Amino acid sequence: MNSVMVIGGGISGIQASLDLADRGIKVYLVERSTSIGGTMAQLDKTFPTLDCSICILGPKMVEVDQNPNIELLTYSEVTKVDGAAGNFRVTVHRKPRYVGESCNGCGECAKTCPIEVPNEYDEGLGTRKAIYVPFPQAIPLRYTIDRDVCVECYRCVEACTGQGNDAIDFNMTAEDVELNVSAIIVATGMDRYIPWNLGEYGYFQYPNVLDALEFERLICASGPTGGNLVRPFDGKPAHKIVFVQCVGSRSQRLGVPYCSSVCCMYATKEAILVREHDPDSEVTIFYIDLKVFGQGFQDFVDRARDQWGVEYIRGRPGEVREHPYTGDLTVWYEDTDTGIVSKKEADLVVLCTAMIARPGNTKLAEILGVELDEYKFFKVKDPLSSPVETNVPGIYVCGCCHGPRDIPESVAEASGTAAMAAGLIEVTSKEDR
Amino acid sequence: MKYALYLGCTIQTEQYGCEISARETLPRLGVELVDMVGTSCCGFPAFSSLSTLGWWYLSARNIAIAEGQGLDMLALCNGCYESLVQTKHNLDEDSNLKAFINDKLSKEGLEYKGDSKIVHPISLLHDIIGVESIGEKVKKPLEGLKLASHPGCHAIRPSLLGMPDKAEHPEKLDTLLKALGAGTMDYPEKTDCCGSMLASTAASTTLTITAEKLKAVEGYGFDGLVTTCPFCFQMFDGRQEEINDMIDFLLDTDSDEVELPVFYYTQLLGLAMGLKPDRLGLQLNMSPVDRILDKIEEGPNR
Repeated sequence: MNSVMVIGGGISGIQASLDLADRGIKVYLVERSTSIGGTMAQLDKTFPTLDCSICILGPKMVEVDQNPNIELLTYSEVTKVDGAAGNFRVTVHRKPRYVGESCNGCGECAKTCPIEVPNEYDEGLGTRKAIYVPFPQAIPLRYTIDRDVCVECYRCVEACTGQGNDAIDFNMTAEDVELNVSAIIVATGMDRYIPWNLGEYGYFQYPNVLDALEFERLICASGPTGGNLVRPFDGKPAHKIVFVQCVGSRSQRLGVPYCSSVCCMYATKEAILVREHDPDSEVTIFYIDLKVFGQGFQDFVDRARDQWGVEYIRGRPGEVREHPYTGDLTVWYEDTDTGIVSKKEADLVVLCTAMIARPGNTKLAEILGVELDEYKFFKVKDPLSSPVETNVPGIYVCGCCHGPRDIPESVAEASGTAAMAAGLIEVTSKEDR
Repeated sequence: MKYALYLGCTIQTEQYGCEISARETLPRLGVELVDMVGTSCCGFPAFSSLSTLGWWYLSARNIAIAEGQGLDMLALCNGCYESLVQTKHNLDEDSNLKAFINDKLSKEGLEYKGDSKIVHPISLLHDIIGVESIGEKVKKPLEGLKLASHPGCHAIRPSLLGMPDKAEHPEKLDTLLKALGAGTMDYPEKTDCCGSMLASTAASTTLTITAEKLKAVEGYGFDGLVTTCPFCFQMFDGRQEEINDMIDFLLDTDSDEVELPVFYYTQLLGLAMGLKPDRLGLQLNMSPVDRILDKIEEGPNR
């Protein structure tokens, strides 16, 4: 049995699956949501090259779909794992999509659906229907009915039959699939810290205060505003943008004490994007320390500062305030280089919130029998000598599920886990002989 | 509901309106107020910079008197409230400190046990009595009035001591105003300082802080400012004339004078209950409250 299960269909899981499939190894890619893509699919651009994120990810997603060695199990979760390295028995719970495999993604059903709810992919800034694909490049391009909001008017069924198809099946039920795999790769990614207890930034009070992923959707050409940078308060163009670093990270008070490692860079990237969109804009980044350690990173920040005119101020803002009538924001801060307390007007304040472990890690770790660290990230055997191995032989981790990291590092790790899993298969199959 | 009423210095020496309106309205909501005998200064938070032990001693002494009466303690003033709550916290956490203070208190035959709760008027009104019960007593709703709430620092801070409302975006006083039929809204300067803490050390800075807040509230089109704290009230209400005498200097710009009516919440509560202004000490307010009183008198169909 030469197969591997990859849990999580973000960039890490995709890369690991493709590497394994290219070696002729059978891969079961299990994804909890309706489409693979993960967080990277939501990003507008990547740093430090400003490449279009979906343009890099999209082709890889299509490859996953078309590779005969990869079996994609979306809308599915791992519920049980037995056995050991070389012979894991896995139970995967497949939730019903209520749309069968004959769906060709034409979208006629969604056009007739009367229910509109906030779209998870656009972080609630846009909407989707009760029958939906999360985004146009979704893989598989197969619709799903959200039965929590569906009113069962069956207009979608009519639309589907109208197209000469009968993909929609309201009687579809969940099923459990049993798989045998030699190795398991965990690539479940990360979650963001929601600043519910940092009232000083007014994230829940002021519409013009966004977190970074919401901003990423707002500035993205495929986003809810078509890339027009507007203020959620009144829809007017936003010219003055303030980024606040380390919201909930590097904090001994509230949030988490570690550094999220990517915020300095993505804030710089987003700042450049703002200046590209609107040369008259004023962009400020408030930081504690600029942690720009990767290849080309310092150069990227220097360019943002010198060529794009992005202002960097060393200091963590103490408070954000909103004018009750105009929605204009005022950011109060101390410039810790000068010790002077002052304020800055802003149309949008973007909170670069901490990267945290997924809440589901606890349950998954229990199922897999692997250890978590104190922050509920997956724990590796040894960060120096075995950086992608867990305490259970045959189970490997890559990407943000074991701590904050950027895309290149996640991809490198994913290839690392693929190599480890392939190595394991080679050894066990020799033993079998 | 029975409470030992602790007044503190500011109310007893100048802010009679606070006491009058509380004594007039709270019993109508089923609160029995019991006077305390032999109380002293609350200890005053700023006194801690000279003698922390002196602060704790004075505070604990007052709590011990309430405990002697077997009652929880209602402190109308934010400053007193903070003093008492902070002291209670420190004594309850530190048995050595409690023993030390009790040794001093024993000379008067007093003992701090830690039985009595300290209650803030906002907690009493919002959490214990509840907005529904307040709403039931409203005879003359304050409709058409837009009022700014000012909870004051120690109604919300320090948050680790479990103060009546959230340190950021407090809303209980707003909810209480809405229960009277008044309009209200959030404004950026809501949690700004009244200025009083600097009054003895930096007089003009104090007035600048007060003036900035008053001007901001007026600028948003509020009809008045509402607080429960006598310390804040005396800055906003009592110092308005002084501020107007030097407003250009204080705000460092040409500025119109401030004319903002300032109320105790209990005064508005009384008015909404249909009580006469002079029963609520409103004749003692120094800010221009008359026009608002006329509006309330005319009723919502004016």
